[in-house]
Amino acid sequence: MADYQLIIIGGGLSGLAAGIRAARFGQRTLLLEQHSLPGGLNSYYFRHGHLLETGLHAMTNFARPADKRAPLNRLFRQLKLSRKRFVTREQFGSQIIFPGNRLAFSNDLSLLESEVAREFPRCRSSFSGLIRKIEDFDPFAPAPHRSARAFLHAQLDNPLLENMLLLPLMVYGNAEEHDMDLAQFTIMFRALFLEGFFRPEHTIREFLALLVDQYKGFGGELRLKTPVREILRYGDRVTGVRLADGEDIRAKAVLSTVGLPATAGLSGWKLDAEKYTGKMSFMETISLLPAKKSRELSRDRTIIFYSHDEDWDYRRPDRLIDSSWGVICFPENFQGIEAQKTMQLRVTHAADYHQWRQLDPSDYGAAKERCSQESRHMVGKIVGNYGQDIVYQDSFTPVTIERFTGKGEGAVYGSPIKIKDGRTPLQNLFIAGTDQGFLGIVGSMLSGVTIVNQHLLR
Amino acid sequence: MTRDEIKDLILEIIEDIDEDAEFDNLDADAPLRDQLDLDSMDFLDIVMELRKRYKLQIPEEEYPELATLTSCVNYLEPKLKDV
Repeated sequence: MADYQLIIIGGGLSGLAAGIRAARFGQRTLLLEQHSLPGGLNSYYFRHGHLLETGLHAMTNFARPADKRAPLNRLFRQLKLSRKRFVTREQFGSQIIFPGNRLAFSNDLSLLESEVAREFPRCRSSFSGLIRKIEDFDPFAPAPHRSARAFLHAQLDNPLLENMLLLPLMVYGNAEEHDMDLAQFTIMFRALFLEGFFRPEHTIREFLALLVDQYKGFGGELRLKTPVREILRYGDRVTGVRLADGEDIRAKAVLSTVGLPATAGLSGWKLDAEKYTGKMSFMETISLLPAKKSRELSRDRTIIFYSHDEDWDYRRPDRLIDSSWGVICFPENFQGIEAQKTMQLRVTHAADYHQWRQLDPSDYGAAKERCSQESRHMVGKIVGNYGQDIVYQDSFTPVTIERFTGKGEGAVYGSPIKIKDGRTPLQNLFIAGTDQGFLGIVGSMLSGVTIVNQHLLR
Repeated sequence: MTRDEIKDLILEIIEDIDEDAEFDNLDADAPLRDQLDLDSMDFLDIVMELRKRYKLQIPEEEYPELATLTSCVNYLEPKLKDV
């Protein structure tokens, strides 16, 4: 007799969403999270008297409550959460900055259309054509990998504009280097440019609490600080899990959100882990500055995607970080967020896991400081100097990400090869989350929902 | 359950799924999906609610029977007659 109908490994957003679905319809569900807090990649920690978020720059997929078909609102219905009571704060506006060109965009597509028309007059109508193709495309129809770069180039025939559009889409969700699967590209294009950025009213902590409360309210059980050592098997089926402390728990099905390589490792199914471990990881630096600097630095921009090089490419760098391009986020620059005494400036750069890994522990701190300095210099060219005003600064690297999230090599977007139907070689073991293929906060939650709907509720 | 009770049950389930559902101009013989702007994920929830509340198993190939309010009532009437 199984102890549970479903065990979910990983209390990140996809695991929580999956748990809510299963518990809502009466399945005896146990959610296991290795850390003392839920959230996975999107959690939080405290430093210098501030709550700092680990992943969240912004949520994508903004939609007004009345737009019932929008992913955000479908998600809320599926989780039986009130969309009307969920307060969203829309972005002020964002920018993509390359050496000779800049494009502003907001949650109103017409801004990006007019920006493209101004900066790339010859692409005006082909860009409209691109939007129509993306609106009509079905990214969920089963299909082999298709090149987003080839598709974009066929549409726009302007490598610079193609790169400018690709940078935000890739850095916010692409596990593959250089190119992107067309379906993923379409999902991300809609999420960022057609729908747009917002934040929940409060921090990720309150959002996670909302999900945990909903899950427990439906009778779901959550165990924190409970790492799983092994997924137990009998032939081609799983029978439950063995915890790190040796306790065995039986379940009729197991849903893993810890990624393909880690899931294969836990359950002992053979997988070429190298092929399924993403190469893209990042260093993130959070700087706290006096709030009065905000206007001067941000000029009311929410997120800036920049590259100092026209020939930008999305690759793991051959050094600790690549500061020639990156993301600059001002998390207070959303409508209706009250000003605090200090402001945050968050910067993300591509980073090489192996170089960080190889550092001697005594050099690690100095390397972080060197990279932060280099980053401040390159970011300063875009927003102006801010190094002298920093009240507090904290960084995390691919090594930090691996340690806290279990994502091999700190690959936040998981495997470049996705398992879209969530199936594994074991009949009643499924995967959800980044390696299933939906990305971003809304996407990963829809992943949890979809896999439970498809395999565990029927 | 009477036909009217089944109709109320379906509307109540839909209201539970979608806090904004408007039934004022609902045509009982036209597809619910289009009128209420719902998708297949929402439809699964109607099936799941029926299962949760009445232990009713509706096989996937019979989901089309739930397309309109009238077809729901026709389909569920024999299944819920003893409830």
